[in-house]
Amino acid sequence: MPKLLFEIGCEELPAAACMEAGLQLPELSRAHLGASPEELFIGPRRLAFPVTVAEHTDDEWIKGPPEALREKAAPGFAKRYGVAVDDLTLRDGFLGLEVPGRPIAEVLPERLAEIVRGLQFGKSMTWGAGFRFARPVRWLCAVLDGEPISVALEGVPSGGLSYGHRTSHPGPVEIPSAEGYLEALRAAGVEPDRAVRYEQIVAGLDALGPWRDPSGKLDEVVYLVEAARVQEASFDERFLELPARVIVTTMQAHQRYFPLGGNRFAFVANGGDPAVVRAGNEFVLSGRLEDAEFTFRRDVEVGIEGLADRLGAITYIAGAGTYAEKTERLVSLVGELGGDADARRAATLAKADLASELVREFTELQGYIGAEYARRAGESESVAAAIEEQYFPDSAGGPLPRTPQGAALAAADKLDHLTTAFGLGTRPTGSRDPFGLRRAAIGLNRLAIDGNVPVQRASLGPAQEFVEERLEGLLNVPVEFVRAARASAVGGLGEVARLAQALHAAERGEAFGAVYEAYDRANRLVGKRDDAAEHLDESLFEHDTERELAAAIGKLELDPADFDSALANAATVAPVVARFFDDVMVIAEDDRVRGNRVRLLLDVRDELGRLGDFSQIPGS
Amino acid sequence: MAQRSYQEIILALEEYWAAQGCVLLTPYHTEVAAGTMNPATFLRSLGPKPWKTAYLEPVLRPLDGRYGENPMRFQHYFQYQVILKPQPANVLDLYLDSLRAIGLDTDRHDIRFVEDDWEQPTVGAWGLGWEVWCDGMEITQFTYFQQLGGLELDLIPAEITYGLDRVAMVVQEKPTVFDLEWADGMTWRDVYQENERQWSHYNFEEASVELHARHFDDYEAECKHLVECGLPLPAYDFVLKCSHAFNLLDARGAISVTERAAYIGRVRNLVRAVAQLYLEQQQEDHAEAVV
Repeated sequence: MPKLLFEIGCEELPAAACMEAGLQLPELSRAHLGASPEELFIGPRRLAFPVTVAEHTDDEWIKGPPEALREKAAPGFAKRYGVAVDDLTLRDGFLGLEVPGRPIAEVLPERLAEIVRGLQFGKSMTWGAGFRFARPVRWLCAVLDGEPISVALEGVPSGGLSYGHRTSHPGPVEIPSAEGYLEALRAAGVEPDRAVRYEQIVAGLDALGPWRDPSGKLDEVVYLVEAARVQEASFDERFLELPARVIVTTMQAHQRYFPLGGNRFAFVANGGDPAVVRAGNEFVLSGRLEDAEFTFRRDVEVGIEGLADRLGAITYIAGAGTYAEKTERLVSLVGELGGDADARRAATLAKADLASELVREFTELQGYIGAEYARRAGESESVAAAIEEQYFPDSAGGPLPRTPQGAALAAADKLDHLTTAFGLGTRPTGSRDPFGLRRAAIGLNRLAIDGNVPVQRASLGPAQEFVEERLEGLLNVPVEFVRAARASAVGGLGEVARLAQALHAAERGEAFGAVYEAYDRANRLVGKRDDAAEHLDESLFEHDTERELAAAIGKLELDPADFDSALANAATVAPVVARFFDDVMVIAEDDRVRGNRVRLLLDVRDELGRLGDFSQIPGS
Repeated sequence: MAQRSYQEIILALEEYWAAQGCVLLTPYHTEVAAGTMNPATFLRSLGPKPWKTAYLEPVLRPLDGRYGENPMRFQHYFQYQVILKPQPANVLDLYLDSLRAIGLDTDRHDIRFVEDDWEQPTVGAWGLGWEVWCDGMEITQFTYFQQLGGLELDLIPAEITYGLDRVAMVVQEKPTVFDLEWADGMTWRDVYQENERQWSHYNFEEASVELHARHFDDYEAECKHLVECGLPLPAYDFVLKCSHAFNLLDARGAISVTERAAYIGRVRNLVRAVAQLYLEQQQEDHAEAVV
């Protein structure tokens, strides 16, 4: 079968565009060429793939009008396709047109153009070619079994030519065949295969010793080069006095370098004289570190307390005052959440680094920089650690604070953030969550559950429902148990989670079954009635069982926090409830008697319901 | 070949881009904060007429002054600006050749085009492009404009903005701007350091807040008047003057957060009105020419 090589030649594509194209090309190839690419070669200047195609396109039959309308509709249909009515054929009562398959080479010009037009990018541009792309497309190379194919895309030259490395081999490269593609380009200084480039870079880095890539730049760098060359370089040791993460962020965020430890780093070049390129990169990094050093020294001179004094000038959220006011709230919240003197001290200084110049440049290092400044000002390690940990966990699976002070501060920060934002009427909608409220809610739940921070549900105010709903996705139990637990009497956020888990764990036990049934029968019979008496009136009891049940319920003091014994306790009432249903006619003729019995059953339901709303849980 | 001085680099760029058919212009006669804001770029990029130009532009950013003490930050520095409208298919090759023309050996250095999109919401403008790296240092900003003044473009221009100081540092292998050789026996320090010191002093400490606030209002009124008169070119100068007055007030710390948004909004409204008017006139002219 014929083998095709197709290459879209571009000006330097962003890494994200390379990834988008890599995801879409297989499907586009299937849709327009009827086959999947054997491989994908994705890089900054070319998106290419070899694919084996059928020699002819499939025969087609275009369905036309029903045969009954031969006189009326068929002439129009035939005319549209430029044939006579007699040329139409009959299938299943319909007239139609046979379109025999065509040689693949005939349809490729249009189909390859469709592939180019079909690629969609998050950010695309026009440059005058009549279609949008991530960056200008400058050539198309298409070769079918050694024959160049021209592509029907206006304004873009096409045929059997590709182009080599931008500076080392700037001229055209003839592509002899799909099989000869890699060889031809490698001879022109280009490694088209992303996987090979990736391996080359990793091998190059490994050869320099242990290396790190905390921000995941390798996935981007592999799309920034066509001829990867890993080089080692270094910076002046005096910069090592800067906080370590400031150095690493400077290297990674701006320059996409890989820290090697100490004052060494690695970078990936795409050409040039290694010695010259190394000197240039070292110079650039020094300049950036010098800037950071200058800023850092100015901040340290002001000191963390001086920075904290400036928070009154920084708006927190429009309508919710300044960071100075937020700081006051944090100090009091940390106390309510069980934080000690160190935790309250940390809360006082927690937001100070937002007034620093270094955080303005390295926003992702907030907290970390504050902690560094606190240490330099002689604050205790537990205060500094709490400042550093205040934004933990910063992702769904991110680590929790290690210190109790950090946990209390982190919970206070999220609690305040959620209640403030919800208080202002902001809440996440769809994918829009500009204040990061989902992340804050999930973090707060994790701090309550795994960090044992005593977050009271009532303190969540307008955010309570939103925060508790996040438990449904967070806990490894069916959502019904979370909903049941949320309707219980527990006051703490962490206790809701533990109760949901306890309910789920107990579900198959005898005690659970007994309590469930008692709750369920009571709830079904009277849950929706509106004729209950306001208070139980013992003088209206007619049966001993009524008195027995009222006494049993009155004695129960179910503490959901001590779930196992509470459940065992509740289970002792179940047989009494069962007898009550046997002995007593609840829906009595007499209004007062009936109202009193309905009241009694509601009391049963509500008391058992302290362990959760069992009606949320599907019966077995 | 001996290393080129700063002025020889400028001359080489002039010669190179003139040979590509560019109209060579001189720096604009009023303050701009970027070569992009020169009407030869900003206005001429609008409309259906092709246009190729190249010019040196001193850019003024009062807030960036450091009294001539920081070797990399200045309130006055130079960009070399090229506009090719419509963008030619070989525009990146033309750019690489221009580097060779000023003595930057593209075989010795690692030249890269790294994604960097440009957006200036204050003037309703955006484009896609790159920062050009030379051994990891940004030496040029390259942009395909997509929108200016809130208006779609008929022909997409390529904008090449050389950071001349950075380019010269690579070409001359000098560690700071101070040490760049401006002309034979004259360094940047000799030519511009005192200028930086005095202007930083003025921008941060002496510029009259009352005067510049008043000027802003006056320039704004004049601009609106000129738009009504159908004179977009003079009107545009008053946008630039407003913009610079704003930058001075900003450097003096005279603009609060809320005022800031209001000032920016006022400049944006002026830019849009002028751009709209300019474009209408261009399209009329073009239609007449075609008829």
